[in-house]
Amino acid sequence: MKRILALCLTLVLLLSMLGGCSSNSGSTSSGDTIVLKVWGSQEDQVILGVMIESFKAAHPDKTFDISLGVVGESDAKSKYLEDPEAAADVFAFANDQLKDLVAAGALYEVTRNKDSIVAANIESSIAAATLDGKLYAYPMTADNGYFLYYDKSVFSEADIASLDKMLEVAGAANKKVFMDVSNGWYIASFFLGAGLRFADDGKIDWNNATGEAVGEYIKSFTANKAFLTGDDDILKSGFADGSIAAGVSGTWNAANIAEILGDNYGAAKLPTFSLNGVETQMGSFGGFKLIGVNSQTKYPVEAMDLAEWLTNEENQIYRFEERALGPSNIKAAESDAVKEDAALAALAAQAPYAVDQNNVPGTYWNPAEAFGTALESKDYSKSIADMLNELVTQSNSN
Amino acid sequence: MKKKRSLLTRLSESISGFFSHFINGDGITKASYVVMGLGCLLRKQLVRGFCYLLIQVLFIWYMLSTGINNIIGLKTLGVNAQGQVWDEVNQIYRYTKGDNSMLMLLFGVLAVFVVIGFLFIYAASVKNAYENEQLLKVNKTPSDFNADVKRMFNEKFHVTILTPPILMVFLFTLLPLVFMILIAFTNFDKNHQPPGNLFTWVGLENFSAALYNDPVKSHTFLSLFIWTLVWAVFATFLNYIFGMILAIMINKKGIRLKKFWRTIFVTTIAVPQFVSLMLMSKLLHDQGAINVLFKNLGWIEDFIPFLSDPFLAKVTVIVVNLWVGMPYTMLITSGILMNIPADLYESARIDGAGPVTQFLKITMPYMLFVTTPYLITQFIGNINNFNVIYLLSGGGPLSLNYFQAGNTDLLVTWLYKLTVNEQNYSMASTIGIIIFIICSFFTLVVFNKTSSAQKEEEFQ
Repeated sequence: MKRILALCLTLVLLLSMLGGCSSNSGSTSSGDTIVLKVWGSQEDQVILGVMIESFKAAHPDKTFDISLGVVGESDAKSKYLEDPEAAADVFAFANDQLKDLVAAGALYEVTRNKDSIVAANIESSIAAATLDGKLYAYPMTADNGYFLYYDKSVFSEADIASLDKMLEVAGAANKKVFMDVSNGWYIASFFLGAGLRFADDGKIDWNNATGEAVGEYIKSFTANKAFLTGDDDILKSGFADGSIAAGVSGTWNAANIAEILGDNYGAAKLPTFSLNGVETQMGSFGGFKLIGVNSQTKYPVEAMDLAEWLTNEENQIYRFEERALGPSNIKAAESDAVKEDAALAALAAQAPYAVDQNNVPGTYWNPAEAFGTALESKDYSKSIADMLNELVTQSNSN
Repeated sequence: MKKKRSLLTRLSESISGFFSHFINGDGITKASYVVMGLGCLLRKQLVRGFCYLLIQVLFIWYMLSTGINNIIGLKTLGVNAQGQVWDEVNQIYRYTKGDNSMLMLLFGVLAVFVVIGFLFIYAASVKNAYENEQLLKVNKTPSDFNADVKRMFNEKFHVTILTPPILMVFLFTLLPLVFMILIAFTNFDKNHQPPGNLFTWVGLENFSAALYNDPVKSHTFLSLFIWTLVWAVFATFLNYIFGMILAIMINKKGIRLKKFWRTIFVTTIAVPQFVSLMLMSKLLHDQGAINVLFKNLGWIEDFIPFLSDPFLAKVTVIVVNLWVGMPYTMLITSGILMNIPADLYESARIDGAGPVTQFLKITMPYMLFVTTPYLITQFIGNINNFNVIYLLSGGGPLSLNYFQAGNTDLLVTWLYKLTVNEQNYSMASTIGIIIFIICSFFTLVVFNKTSSAQKEEEFQ
């Protein structure tokens, strides 16, 4: 009896394990329903739901089963590469991931209605979605950049023209100028301002005389007593308790900071910094958020229609109204509401000095962060020249 | 050692038997080398023979339909990349499915497993046929199906009961393990990501890159390896020593509220480790609570870079780990301390030994004898101590000298970063294998040298 019981137990174990395997393939869709999966950020879930409903209403001849998943634009690449076949059919991502996604064969080339998409969006956003002359994604927003927030009660319009002047004024008022220098995205501002760029293959050669001058400036900037680094929380709490008078950040903090500063809320392009004694405009990364179609999708036509729908003029305006995200659509960007938005206006003023992120290799971010961290923690054990050499070696070792 | 030899001899016996049975066997036995189960079917073992035959037919069908392709695919891991065809009506490219290297590797490994499994059954069937022949020669009948089934429930019950779990182990443990080990010998990274792209065999390239060939990666590997060992030594022995001192202090006669002190320290265990670690990481941040507090008290001018200075970050993770891990050692050692016979101390005292001598001559040897295996497990555990490093410092501060790694990164957190951020699966697999080799080396060598292993019988 005991033996039979033992045998039964092992068999149950076996069957349950096999059962666990087979149940995955249980739910296959029936014939005509078009099953699509969409990935968007947590904050966008509600508006994406509305857009999807309107998409369904606009295509009454087809039956859709569209599901929404939470994957932020910055995580899209790594989530996608975990399992391309299980990834969403339509997903939002930041344009700096375009190169890696194309290299992985992840993106469906956009050819359907290509001309009208190209015509409807600003040129730089199309450039950011294009690689080797092929369009790979639909521009969704044009606000993935950074600029200067400042407290009008501390700085005058003239003060915010120059970073050194700002540090002087802030230092005198015992307040701080915030910039997250230990972040490849922000620290690049100085190098880009000095005219240093990423080559087409992603390589950098910043370990030259100009780079060294930039490095020395960053060193003096981070050593200034009015300098403060940190994350978004530090920035917001600093503005709230009055310890921070100015900070470099992007549109996602606009609503919060505007609320905290009230009438003293100001936004402007980045200031200049002194490079070998010459006042030089700080550059920036101008990023775009794009919507891509998975090359593994079973319904490419419908997925493309949906991606186009999510990025059309109407929905870009809706996205701006609900989430204050700057549109890449030319007509949407020209609306009065967009033009009156202080943060988007500042971003537009910074735009001429912005560089797109398409050529930035994935290996750049960590060493750039290390470079900034070392200077922030005043670790001067290595010369700026040595640090730049290492930054270049690490970033170029791909 | 005895067991090993018997396994080897059994294997060589069955191989030599395989050939000698063919030479010595009669026609039917010889024929059952070609048609499995013939030696059973024609010798009164109908059901068993039929089963062998069915297995052979299934195997041939599997090999012809997919098996051979899978094994051939294992060699190339795919040759047809994803292609595209223009669809004029919808104005899009239709992508044609290319080979999926990952699935080819997986099914290839599965096919090899199936072949090996079949070879075992084949050998068994041949042996079976020869045995039947021998039995009939001495006028005995080979056991029929009913008798077989009965035997499976009596003297061979262990076979019945263990077969399903062993199959499971092969399918769910060994197969994925072999699959993942094999990835170390491919170039499976973000530029060779199936199904869009193919990956292929690169031999030992990843190992040479990690160990010496690629200056950036090998330098990172070596530096992180040294730090991993330093970390493991400090984390293990500091926890051990301080935990023991704590236990001795609480255990001392004359200490009041023993239970209270013990409870206080054990409460750190009650809070989930990841919670306390993440809280610590927030507290020790450059603008974190501790720095702000010190600044407000006027003790410091500028923040203390607890987690952003390379050297200080290393000290911080070791100290915080001490705080987290000490209570565990305290618990374990206080139990053992209470077990040391009191008369040993008493006679030592009479002989004039002071507290230090007592500790060194009685407590330490006793403790080491009992806890060396525990120490080894702790050491290995610390080499792979992902939680503390990842949650506390995240491997940071990042270093300009290291490839995608920070100053406090252990090999195992670097492996995590390579997999999750870089999708460099082949490199991650390579490092995983190297970590395994290191860990097993330490475990085997050190454990065999311990007195716990050598003098097991002498334990009082």
